[in-house]
Amino acid sequence: MEAMTEDKALTAEDEGRLDDFYRAMEVESSRSLGYPSNAVFDYSDLYRFLHFPLNNIGDPFVESTFRVHSRSFERDVLRFFAKMYHAPEDDYWGYVTSGGTEGNMYGLYLARELLPEGIVYYSEETHYSVSKVLRVLALRNIMIKTLANGEIDYEDLRETVRIHRDVPPIILANIGTTMKGAVDNVDTIQEILRDFALPNFYIHCDAALSGMILPFVKDPEPYDFAAGIDSISVSGHKMIGSPMPCGVVLAKKKNVDRIARSVEYVGTLDTTISGSRNGLSPLFLWSAIRKLGPSGFRKMVVGCLKMADYAIDRLREKDIDAWRNNNSVTVVFPRPATPVLEKWQIAVFRDIGHMITMPHVTRDLVDELVGDIAGTEP
Amino acid sequence: MKQITVVTESSPGLLAQVSEILAERGINIETLNAETVQDYGVVIFTVDRYDEALVALRDAGVPAVSEDAIIIRIADEPGALARISRRFHDAEIRLRSVRIIRRDAGHGLVALSTERTERALELVKDVLIS
Ligand SMILES: Cc1ncc(COP(=O)(O)O)c(C=O)c1O
Repeated sequence: MEAMTEDKALTAEDEGRLDDFYRAMEVESSRSLGYPSNAVFDYSDLYRFLHFPLNNIGDPFVESTFRVHSRSFERDVLRFFAKMYHAPEDDYWGYVTSGGTEGNMYGLYLARELLPEGIVYYSEETHYSVSKVLRVLALRNIMIKTLANGEIDYEDLRETVRIHRDVPPIILANIGTTMKGAVDNVDTIQEILRDFALPNFYIHCDAALSGMILPFVKDPEPYDFAAGIDSISVSGHKMIGSPMPCGVVLAKKKNVDRIARSVEYVGTLDTTISGSRNGLSPLFLWSAIRKLGPSGFRKMVVGCLKMADYAIDRLREKDIDAWRNNNSVTVVFPRPATPVLEKWQIAVFRDIGHMITMPHVTRDLVDELVGDIAGTEP
Repeated sequence: MKQITVVTESSPGLLAQVSEILAERGINIETLNAETVQDYGVVIFTVDRYDEALVALRDAGVPAVSEDAIIIRIADEPGALARISRRFHDAEIRLRSVRIIRRDAGHGLVALSTERTERALELVKDVLIS
């Protein structure tokens, strides 16, 4: 029997629309300064896999009867991240997610299953995806103030935890906030929790961007499993770069197993949040890891940090008060005028704007932006 | 009657802007209370079509807080918010979420999600905005 496909072509008009779109994307992707998306990558050697309906449905560590999947690559990616984040060697679990949000959702879901009475504490400058997740999971939550640099206000956290010391705390720690790239210090947070002698707590790290920075700097802030966290979510399309949004979530396997036991309908156990899952993104991540490896990533991160300092120097030369957090590629400055925001796709938050010196950001691009900011009244 | 609260940087045009957005969709404002607190403009009102009003404000990019939250204003100092949540804790009223909506000039505006009961409102009457 013939396969049920019929060759159909696009109209000239449709083709034209795609061509226009292509040209627009070529320009826009290279000129984006305000979002933490790396726009330089070349995965053309993987394009042939677009011919297959890859689907990594379910748990990457459990074999499936469906065989058109890239789970062995996915497991390699997870192993790489697990090692990098010092996850306990044979006690980690995770999967390649659709992005940072899904990883946060998984981490907070796990926390809720382990500590159903828990309250989530998270800072004011946490990405809004977390508020969404809290709502979906119907988790009780209390927002904590931030310090001026964007870190969680530890005194406020301490006072709030003190009052609710009879309730297990679930901490959502930011490892690189969206607007200021600030890192909540998980050592200090744990000192606070220990001061109250709290027996049960959970720490999930939202490491969307900085989860791919801190492993490659000399003096990283504490952020990983070695520092006592329980789970971590990182985006794949940010520092590594990917044609489609993706990410990685990792958790301690013993926690995952504990909740698996409490799921009523044993037999259909699928531990991932989504069922059908992208089988291409693990291939992209795997190929970036194989090609660049830790030394390539380190070079990339060092380059981005240098570019951030370059941008700060140029801005300060123009008397623009620019700064960044330690180990962050997010350069913060006063909110520029609207035409500048539009031209450069710059996100603003209240009275600040930022540029994120991702790997595609060049000195020329920075110079041009600085010229634009300096040339307009805010 | 379910109320809607809009909090923004104090701008003289806020009230007119809100009225216009609602009028465009034929939504009637039934009760209205506008004030300036520090540097914020706060408009609290009720309308004849609650859900549509919320959608209209959202579409217009005006941050509106629905009936499900109690809005309070507290000093911006460590533990200030914690002391408020302590009151609820002691009264055994569960807060679903506590969110800071604005914070500047030494004060914070905070949305407490809990049932809007008289008891709950009584607990925060010294700091209540809406
Ligand atoms: C700190 C932080 N967390 C989470 C996210 C959400 O990630 P995603 O868009 O990949 O779901 C972002 C996105 O910018 C972020 O900056």
